[in-house]
Amino acid sequence: MHGLRSQLLFLFLAFGTCTISQATERVLRVAVLTNSPPMSYIGDVGQLVGFNVGLAQALCEEMEVRCALTVVPLEHVIDSVATGKFDFSAVSLLDTPERRAKVLLSKPYYRSTSIWFAKPGIEPGTSSVRVAMVAGSAQFRYAQARSWKITTVQHHSELPALLVDGKVEAVLIPMTTSLTLRKDQSIQSLGLVTTVMSQAELSGDVCYAIDPKNPELRDSINKAFDKIKQDGRFDRLNSKYLPFRLQ
Amino acid sequence: MIMPDQSILERLNRLGWPTGKAFALLCGVFVSIFLALVLWLAVDQRLVLEGAERLQDKTVPSTLEHFRLARNIEQLRLEGERVLSGRSPVERQQAMFIVSLIASHPAMLADARASALAREVESFLTRSAREGLSEKNNSEWVTLTNRLSLLADDLSIEGVNLETEDLRHMTTTMLQSHIKLAVVLALVAVFVGSFLFLIHRHLIRPLQMMSQTLSELRFGQPPSPVEASAMLEIREVEAAIGQLQKVMLENEQARQRLEFLATTDSLTSMFNRRHFMTLAEEEIKRAHRYARPICVGMADLDFFKRINDSYGHAVGDVVLQSMTALFAKALRHSDWVCRYGGEEFAFVFPETTPIEAQHLAERLRHFAAENRIELSDGICLRITLSVGLADASAGSLDEALKRADEALYEAKSRGRNRVVMAAASDIGERIDEIQVPANERSLH
Repeated sequence: MHGLRSQLLFLFLAFGTCTISQATERVLRVAVLTNSPPMSYIGDVGQLVGFNVGLAQALCEEMEVRCALTVVPLEHVIDSVATGKFDFSAVSLLDTPERRAKVLLSKPYYRSTSIWFAKPGIEPGTSSVRVAMVAGSAQFRYAQARSWKITTVQHHSELPALLVDGKVEAVLIPMTTSLTLRKDQSIQSLGLVTTVMSQAELSGDVCYAIDPKNPELRDSINKAFDKIKQDGRFDRLNSKYLPFRLQ
Repeated sequence: MIMPDQSILERLNRLGWPTGKAFALLCGVFVSIFLALVLWLAVDQRLVLEGAERLQDKTVPSTLEHFRLARNIEQLRLEGERVLSGRSPVERQQAMFIVSLIASHPAMLADARASALAREVESFLTRSAREGLSEKNNSEWVTLTNRLSLLADDLSIEGVNLETEDLRHMTTTMLQSHIKLAVVLALVAVFVGSFLFLIHRHLIRPLQMMSQTLSELRFGQPPSPVEASAMLEIREVEAAIGQLQKVMLENEQARQRLEFLATTDSLTSMFNRRHFMTLAEEEIKRAHRYARPICVGMADLDFFKRINDSYGHAVGDVVLQSMTALFAKALRHSDWVCRYGGEEFAFVFPETTPIEAQHLAERLRHFAAENRIELSDGICLRITLSVGLADASAGSLDEALKRADEALYEAKSRGRNRVVMAAASDIGERIDEIQVPANERSLH
């Protein structure tokens, strides 16, 4: 009788341990960009850093799950998440109808605009101007819809060289990454001027993309966003990577 | 206005309330009221919960947004300082770029005050960057920075006030809830008090009255008047107790009648012989136990047969009945007397020596001789008694009565209307005679 009781206790503990370890070993696959400072980029010691990277880690910590971050080009982010290759993407994505049709979007965590960088006198929308932008971005779709002359890149870090080499006369990029581009030493001599573009397709709410088959994850991420925005973690990351408050 | 209600209540009380239904109705009313009050309190609880939820989900985020906007206003001032006093053109251009970003940020544009001031700052800085910082521009910048700081303060305070307003609403609701809770507790106290009063008034007090009535029945006391209860069941029990009381009273009366019949002679209402013998035995035992004097006697009406023969048995019965009053008059309360049979009577004289018994018997004989029995037809009869006495302080009752009977026989044989005391049993056959006065002998 004593032996049977011991065996049952062992089974119970073993089952409980398995359950706990399964719960604690849950891993979320997260898509992130690289070479897009200050949002996500490779740091000095070779690790992924940036506002979105820190935010993803804070969300996973709040949800008590382990996250595996994988670098993905922006043009593949939506499709990768839509097909379930990733559970969510820690990439700042403008809330557009096209994206909403493919994936679930988290609640907005800030609002953004787009910035036009060009030499003086070159205005947005000039048909003869060649404009560079990141493939898969909202800016790319905006320009594509208007049949602009487009040069696409995979990463924001490729843009200064295009401007310096004269391959493009202008770039159209999101507000946050424009901060880094504006500080790039190589383009300081070009005398570029900036124009804030607040058109509906180029500005608005910024969200994370989430696996469309996992609405529970969306709810968890939304709750985690609320939490880290209230306990100060969001603002600390904001201060670490950006000169003003994202709202 | 009050009287009709009272009369209705009184009529209902007269009709009576079923106890179970009455208290069930009372409890039902209370439970209904209590549930309504709980729901009343629950509304406040819900309002507080909604307030807390609103505070958590909307107000706190909105407050934080106010703080962030205030922080960006402050950042706008700092970047403006860099635009005007940056160490290098690149730094100044970078600062100007950030000013443009902040001024065109959607969150900044969403607030009219912030948007207008940010645009004004951006225009000023653009102009100053182009024209250089003059004295006038510097003064204007000081004004703008003051306005930026004030706006940042205002936004921070507004953010805090958002929470203060929500907390004020929640505090007001909680205060109302406390008042409601006090009202609920007061109503509960009133109900419990009323309930206990009704239980005491309509259950406990009637039960106490019934207990008192039953106690009075047990001790044979007349029951106290009881006010009719308003509860039907209590009223039925009270009626049953009343019925029991009536039956017990009838039984007691019957018992007393039977006892009277069993112990008395139907003609004279004196004790009958059997009961007399029982009492006499007890008296003699008591006298023997305490060595007290006691005497017995036997009396017989002289020439009673002649009365029956001359006037009929009805007159004889009247004569026998007249003896009851005569004995009551002549004897003491402590003496026992019975109709022993026919016109013969027996006596027990407790605490009485033979001499005292002789005096008693002589007084009885004298009263009888003096007594006039008036019949309905105007005839007046006088009848005498012969009495035989015996000392019963030793020996049995039967022996004493036998000796008294022998003394009576002696009195008869000596001419009647006289008292003869039997000799003591250990002395033999001596019998003492009490002489009848000469003037009384002619009466029989």
